Amino acid sequence: MSETATPTLQVENLETHFPTRDGTVRAVDGVSFAVAPGEILGLVGESGSGKSITGFSVLGLIDPPGRIANGRVLFKGEDITAAGESRLRQLRGARIAMIFQDPMMTLNPVLRIDTQMIEAVQAHQKISEAAARARAVETLQAVGIAAPEERLLAYPHQMSGGMRQRIAIAIALLHKPDVIIADEPTTALDVTIQGQILYEVRKLCRETGTALIWITHDLSVVAGLADRIMVMYAGRIVETGPVATVIERPQHPYTRGLIGSVPGALPRGKRLFQIPGMAPAPLNLPPGCRFKTRCSRADAACDSMPELADLAPGHAVRCFHPFDAAPISAAEVAS
Amino acid sequence: MNAAPILELNQVSKRFTWRLDIASRIANLMGAGLQERAVHAVDAVDLTIREGEVVGLVGESGCGKSTLGRIVAGIMDASAGSMKYRGKGLAEMTPEERHTCKLAVQMIFQDPYASLNPRMRVEDIIGEAPVAHGLIRRSEMGAYVEGLMRQVGLDPRYRKRYPHQFSGGQRQRIGIARALAVKPQFIVCDEAVAALDVSIQAQVLNLFMDLREQLGLTYLFISHNLSVVEHISDRVVIMYLGRVVESAPTEELFRQPNHPYTQALLAEAPRLVAERRDYTPIAGEIPSPLNPPPGCHFHPRCPHATQRCRSEAPALREIAPGRLSACHLNDR
Repeated sequence: MSETATPTLQVENLETHFPTRDGTVRAVDGVSFAVAPGEILGLVGESGSGKSITGFSVLGLIDPPGRIANGRVLFKGEDITAAGESRLRQLRGARIAMIFQDPMMTLNPVLRIDTQMIEAVQAHQKISEAAARARAVETLQAVGIAAPEERLLAYPHQMSGGMRQRIAIAIALLHKPDVIIADEPTTALDVTIQGQILYEVRKLCRETGTALIWITHDLSVVAGLADRIMVMYAGRIVETGPVATVIERPQHPYTRGLIGSVPGALPRGKRLFQIPGMAPAPLNLPPGCRFKTRCSRADAACDSMPELADLAPGHAVRCFHPFDAAPISAAEVAS
Repeated sequence: MNAAPILELNQVSKRFTWRLDIASRIANLMGAGLQERAVHAVDAVDLTIREGEVVGLVGESGCGKSTLGRIVAGIMDASAGSMKYRGKGLAEMTPEERHTCKLAVQMIFQDPYASLNPRMRVEDIIGEAPVAHGLIRRSEMGAYVEGLMRQVGLDPRYRKRYPHQFSGGQRQRIGIARALAVKPQFIVCDEAVAALDVSIQAQVLNLFMDLREQLGLTYLFISHNLSVVEHISDRVVIMYLGRVVESAPTEELFRQPNHPYTQALLAEAPRLVAERRDYTPIAGEIPSPLNPPPGCHFHPRCPHATQRCRSEAPALREIAPGRLSACHLNDR
C-alpha cells in the first residue's frame, strides 16, 4: 500500500484486557495496524488469538468488565477510543460497519427485513421511508439478491443461511461505510455460497473504496481475497505483509507451521506438518516470545520479547530467528 | 484397488416423513387439505467400500451425507434398499452376526463438545463399551484405557478427568479412543476435524493416517472440506441433494472433474495460493429437499442444462474404469 495515503483506520498499540477472578486476560496485547481506502486486510489467527476482540475493540463493542486498557483507534485521524458513546453511535453502522459470523446476531428474528433495513437507514439519515426503501432495494441488488422487493417482505427465518448473511452484508453496506469489519462471515456457509459472497464483497470494495478487515481462521479464504495479511498469535501480531509474501514466503515459524498444516499443499497421504502442543492458556502465557514453547527454533534469546521488526518494506515479523524468505519446501514440512 | 468389499450399499434411501397429527387431521376434515410431506434425505444410493480404503464423502449442507453416514454406522435404519457387510446382507444375519457387525462399524462425530457425556470420566467414556460388550473384564479396564489413550496421543494420567477439562482437539482424541475401544474395522468420520483449529486439525488428520496404517482400518470420511478429503482419501464420492453425482479415484477427480457440480465445487474451494480469483461463481443455492427440482437435481444451477436434464434424472453410470458420474452430458 502506498504510504502517502491517509489510512482510513489506524490502530495504535491497542491493548484489550478482561479482568477475571484468576487474573487479567490480555486478549489483545499491543496491536498496531492501518488500513487504507479500498484495501482488504486479512486478519488471521486460531481460536483465542485475539483476532475477533481486535475487531470488536475498534468499534468499542467490548462489554465490561472487559476494557481497552491502552492504545488508540484513529478513524480518519479522529481518536474514537476517546470519543463518547454518542459519537460512537454516529459512526457505527454509518461509517464503520460490522458483519458477524452469525447473521442472526445482526437480524432481529421477529421483524421483517424491510422494517430492519429502513430503520437502519433512518437511524443515520433524515430521509423519507420511500427513499429508505429504495436504498434498501438497491443495496440488496448489489449483494446479488434476486427479487429484492419480495425479500424485503420476508422474515429472517424464511431464508437460508447464505441469504441471511447477504442481508447482513447489505445492512452493513447501507451507508456506504468507509470501513467494514467482517468477523468470519462465511465460516458457517457452504463452499459455493462462500464463493459467491467473496466475489461480491471484493467487487464492492473495488467499486466503493471501502476498506475491509476480514477476520478469519482460514488462511485459504484470505489468500484469494486480501491485499495484506496479518497473523495473530496469543494476542500479538507475529507476522504481517503483502498477501503473496505471507502465503508463499512466510518467515515466522508459526506462520510457516500454520501454512504447512493446511492439507492440499502436499502430496496426498503424506503426513501433515504439525505444530506440537497447543496455544498457551491466556492466563498463563510464557514470558518472552509466546510461541517459544511450540517452536523448533526457540533458544535462550526467546525468553525476552522479540519486536515486530521489518524484514522487508511492508513485511514485518516478530521473531529472533526468522526463516529465510523461501517457499515452504516439502522436505521442511516432513522434518 | 482389488480388495474385497467390506461394505456394499444397494439403492439405499432414507425418507423423513412429516406425519399428520390429530389436529391436522381434524383440520383436514374441515377441508384444510394438509398433506404428508417427505424429505428424501438419501435417494437410492449405491456405494461400495473396499477393505482398507479411505472413501471421502463430500457435499454441501443438506445433501444427505451425514444421514448416509449414520445409516452406514447403524445409528439409523434405511427406509429402503439393502446393505451388505463383508458380502452378507444385514437382513440375512443372525442376531449375533449383526451384533458383531455393529461393533465393527464405529463412528466419530463432528462436535467434540456435544458427543461426550459431560458427567462421565474419560476412563468410563472410553472403557464402558468394551466392558459392556465383554471384550475385556472390568478389572482390566484401567490398563486397557491407558493403552488406548496413549495410542491416540493423550496422557493416560488424565483418565480420571472430565471432558470439560480438555481442549477441543483433546476431546476429539477422546472420541477417537472411544470408537477404537471396541476394535472396529470400519470407522465413519462425520466432519471429524471441522470444528478444530488448523494446527490441531493437522494433528488429528495425522493421527487418522497413523491409525489406518497400524490397525488396517477402513474409513468413510465425510466432510465439506475438499482439501482435507483430497489429502486423506483414496476415492471421493460427491453428493448433491440426496444423490451421488460422481465417484472417482481422488487424483482423477481433482485433475478432471466430470460432473458440472463437482467442477463448480472445485472451482469455489478456497486454495492456499495468493492469487486474485476473479470469475463469476456458480449461481443459486441448494434447492429445498422438501421440493427438489424434477429431473437432474442440479439443473437449475447448471450452466449446461438442457431440456432433457429438466425432465429425466440421469443415472450414475461408469464413464471410465473406476469412475462414475450421473450427467446426461456424458451421452453426447
